[in-house]
Amino acid sequence: MPHSEAMEGAMRAPSFAARIAREWRGGNRAGLARLVIGVLVVLAAATFATSIMTGAADASLANVFRWLAGEADEALSARDRIIILDIRLPRAVLGMLVGASLAVSGVVMQGLFRNPLADPGLVGVSAGASLGAVLLIVLGAAAFAPLFALFGFYALPLGAFLGGLATTLLLYRIATRGGQTSVATMLLAGIALGALAGAVTGVLVFLADDQQLRDLTFWGLGSLAGANWTKIASAGPIILLSLAVVPFLARGLNAITLGEAAAFHMGIPVQRLKNIAIFSVAGATGASVAVSGGIGFVGIIVPHLLRLVIGPDHRYLLPASALLGGTMLIFADMLARTIVSPAELPIGIITAFVGAPFFLWVLLRGRSNMGL
Amino acid sequence: MIRASDISVRLAGRQVLHGVSFEAVPGAMTAIVGPNGSGKTTTLKVASGELVPSAGKVTINGRDIASFKPWELALKRGVLPQSTVISFPFTVREIVRLGLSAGGSADTPSHDGVADEALEAVDLAGFSGRFYQELSGGEQQRVQLARVLCQISAPATDGEPRYLLLDEPVSSLDIRHQLTIMRLARQFCTEGGGVIAVMHDLNLTAMFADQIVMMKAGRIRARGAPRDVLTDETMEAVFGCRMRVSVAPGRDMPFVLPQSAAV
Repeated sequence: MPHSEAMEGAMRAPSFAARIAREWRGGNRAGLARLVIGVLVVLAAATFATSIMTGAADASLANVFRWLAGEADEALSARDRIIILDIRLPRAVLGMLVGASLAVSGVVMQGLFRNPLADPGLVGVSAGASLGAVLLIVLGAAAFAPLFALFGFYALPLGAFLGGLATTLLLYRIATRGGQTSVATMLLAGIALGALAGAVTGVLVFLADDQQLRDLTFWGLGSLAGANWTKIASAGPIILLSLAVVPFLARGLNAITLGEAAAFHMGIPVQRLKNIAIFSVAGATGASVAVSGGIGFVGIIVPHLLRLVIGPDHRYLLPASALLGGTMLIFADMLARTIVSPAELPIGIITAFVGAPFFLWVLLRGRSNMGL
Repeated sequence: MIRASDISVRLAGRQVLHGVSFEAVPGAMTAIVGPNGSGKTTTLKVASGELVPSAGKVTINGRDIASFKPWELALKRGVLPQSTVISFPFTVREIVRLGLSAGGSADTPSHDGVADEALEAVDLAGFSGRFYQELSGGEQQRVQLARVLCQISAPATDGEPRYLLLDEPVSSLDIRHQLTIMRLARQFCTEGGGVIAVMHDLNLTAMFADQIVMMKAGRIRARGAPRDVLTDETMEAVFGCRMRVSVAPGRDMPFVLPQSAAV
């Protein structure tokens, strides 16, 4: 039988789907989750490639490859090379990094606070990170000169990290009592902390001189527009380091769903888990804010959508969120730079237009389960 | 054996436990009873290692509980909390399987059978695909017990007994499932494990417990076999209820009827 292999393959495909469906009915979504992660990897790669090939200019990737092979016309392809390798590529890479870290920060924070509405942007962590960065820009030269000397271009992400860390720690102390986190307290305290950080930031902007104001404006645009390899080199290591520890939190975040006491009963070193989680959220959020300003709602939309499909098991939710977060941000960025081309919308506007109604929907749908 | 020696606990400036001492031996069910606010749950928290007492110490199989790493403790004892609210849409199977990986052991597909067995033991066979949040309180409590049974699947390993610590395990269950769960706990003891349960139903306690620890205002007021502890005198002194304790004919098992209470 010459076609037996192909036929076997065709037989296997439906039985694979049937197995996943059967497992799913039995409450086991692991097979489905793996499948979804596979699809997301393909989707991420496709979106990444598309974003490199589209833009206001009609630069062609083929020309760049030809230039790399030394075949094409020097002058023409040099322009395409700059557009693609120095403008679009860093932008896509940064979008992937920032999107992944916003989504993963959302998952970790929601797991830690045991609440699907916790998001670094909403509860003031991003505002705290901004304050840290602005503090460095305005008082930088005078007060933090040794810091700049020591850390160079890492100083800004580092400042944002410290600002984010301080806010997260404070928020956790305020909202959690005896291992129980009050959702209402967390959201309201987050608003207060965000407002406070915003006020201090305002004072600093008021104090800033002309050159610093210029720096602040460029930095605070809240978009991927300024993406370049320097930014990636400064924020990338902190983001990657923060994301690298996250897989080790998955089992603990699953257990902590049942409460901190129950997690301890199941053998989780709860205090250490919380410390690592808070540091990684502050690191990923801080570094993201430092390079792209505040981009909201990614940390709520992505995890929530994925929980609906693959369930809340953090072993699958974390990698899936990283992939979908990066993909979504690159996609939003493509919209941002093509809708009003050749001008650009700040990407934060697009994520807010989608995210704010989505947040309301989650709120109304899950009110009874969230103690609100 | 789980041994608590002279435990005292202060919480928020208030003395909650005063020199509590008891032993829970493997092969026997120890029930902690007492009026609301008498320190039963606090005692269980200290015995589980969750709460560090301000004085006194707890040992499990002879080793100080403070010297255990969390994952080591998770292999020695499982804890059933009073009620568990979750805010993420986990299925019943996913919750039960959380118990499988407790103590750092791997949670592989081959463990599916263990999860199914545990669900069957608590009379929830066929519930594995349901969402935990959509279950009734009593069903949720049984799912949690199945999770604890996955964590402590064998009553003893390498000759060392393991323990179940249950905080009001039957409080929200119907009478049939109250018996199911108490029999399950009883069987765990028969197979060599130890059980400490905080109980409110004195009749179920008298039926199943080997030892009753009766508490009032953070102190142990009586300790011993059900027929020695459940008496007219302790009912009045500890619960403030003047009621008669009777004995079921032929079974040497005391019982109390609320109808017998003198107003």
